[in-house]
Amino acid sequence: MQYMLLIYEDERIYGPDRESPAARERRAQHIAYSRELGATRLAGSGLKDSTAATTIRTAAGKQTLHDGPFAESREQLGGYYLIEAPDLDAAIAVAKKVPLSQNGAVEIRPLLVPG
Amino acid sequence: MTSAALGLVFREASGRIVAALASRFRDLDLAEDSFADACARALEAWSREGPPRDAAAWLYRTAYRCAVDTLRRRRTEHRFAPELQRNAIEEQPLPDEWTPIPDERLRLIFVCCHPAVALDARAALTLRLVCGLATREIARAFLLAEPTLAQRLIRAKRKIAEAGVSFEVPEPEAWPERLDAVLSTIEIAYGRAHEDAAGSGPHFNYAAEMLEITRVLAELLPHEAETAAMAAIVRFAEARRPARVDAHGIMIPLADQDPAAWVEPLIADARRYLDRAVSLRPRAPRVLQASIHAAWCARRTLAEPPPWSEILALYDELLRVRDDSIVRLNRAVALAEVRGVDAALAEIESLAPRPLDDFLPYHAVRADLLCRAGRCDEALVAYDAALALVATSAERLWLERQRAALTE
Repeated sequence: MQYMLLIYEDERIYGPDRESPAARERRAQHIAYSRELGATRLAGSGLKDSTAATTIRTAAGKQTLHDGPFAESREQLGGYYLIEAPDLDAAIAVAKKVPLSQNGAVEIRPLLVPG
Repeated sequence: MTSAALGLVFREASGRIVAALASRFRDLDLAEDSFADACARALEAWSREGPPRDAAAWLYRTAYRCAVDTLRRRRTEHRFAPELQRNAIEEQPLPDEWTPIPDERLRLIFVCCHPAVALDARAALTLRLVCGLATREIARAFLLAEPTLAQRLIRAKRKIAEAGVSFEVPEPEAWPERLDAVLSTIEIAYGRAHEDAAGSGPHFNYAAEMLEITRVLAELLPHEAETAAMAAIVRFAEARRPARVDAHGIMIPLADQDPAAWVEPLIADARRYLDRAVSLRPRAPRVLQASIHAAWCARRTLAEPPPWSEILALYDELLRVRDDSIVRLNRAVALAEVRGVDAALAEIESLAPRPLDDFLPYHAVRADLLCRAGRCDEALVAYDAALALVATSAERLWLERQRAALTE
């Protein structure tokens, strides 16, 4: 099965341009982690700060553009991995090792279409 | 064969058969539906020809064929059937008369109690699939409307199917987390059964199921201290059930129960499980809890003083490995007897009250302590809070009597 791992963290700790020491350290960890995953990792990337986000909302069929992310909350979607795993337990094992600051979350979502 | 006798066969066989089908076809709905189909066919065939020699094996074979038929039908209906189903159909020959039903209940318990399944659905799902209880019975035990519970079961099964929950028994590294999820599920389920002292209320039916499921778990995992401890706890508690209510249907607190009314064979059984647990991990939280039950059940007569100091010492140890409000509350009861009511009240008042506001024993214990401390007005308020939460008649009558004694 294919699973999406969605990484949520308080993005402020990484600084607006993602150049803080914390950001550099985390980036190095992600590179090492991706290498470790090998063929399990199908895709993945960090995302720019949520201040760079633009959201198109549709209400009653009418589209409006908004500056900012879909949901305003302390933790923001900051990156993702797309992985191949035989079952949820295997995906959980992979997701538990995603580099993360002291607080945050990784959401595991199976893809609708089996890969 | 009467339909009641058939019901018993179905109930007893259902856990093993549904588990075997579920792990074979990796599909809970298919397993349940096929078993239901097999039961329907049995009713018809057995009333015509009489029941077969091995009714369970007959049901398993028939359910297995029903499952394979359903999969074939699905494959013709949707030409893009997933690979997995094709394998499921073609991998193995159909079971014949000599095929034993594989015991896959442990696997199914781990599926139902996966931490990815909503906590409030795990116990219900286990009771439904592993113990074969009807949705109606479980709903009654959980004090929920049947459609609410049915909805919860559907959501849980969908989650298991869609998230790809594994049908394997977990790997060693995931073991502690997963086993704990299983044991806390059983605790929740048994807690429901135990709340009802008279054992005549809505929870009556499945205290027996809890004996069975803990026996199975302890048998399947003989080297885990806490599974043996869990089996011991349920037995100690069930052994005391006949002494928990008086002739007027009023609950009798543990220290006032007549040990002569306790069920000796169940206590002996519990002790065997506890001995095994203690030899494996004497300081594990559930082993200490079982030891507390054992200390109570060692009392021979009402004339013998209750073992309060021993109970308090065990709670002190338990507190070191599991420090939570409920352990502290239970410890306070022993504390009151050993060091006095004031010490116990101070301990209880130091608990964060918010999470225990909905917890009946918190209000009941507090009311009793306040009353003994001579703080009658506060005790009345606490009894009212307890009465607002009580759901079973034996407990209600007891609380009402205690409260009435205050105002005399």
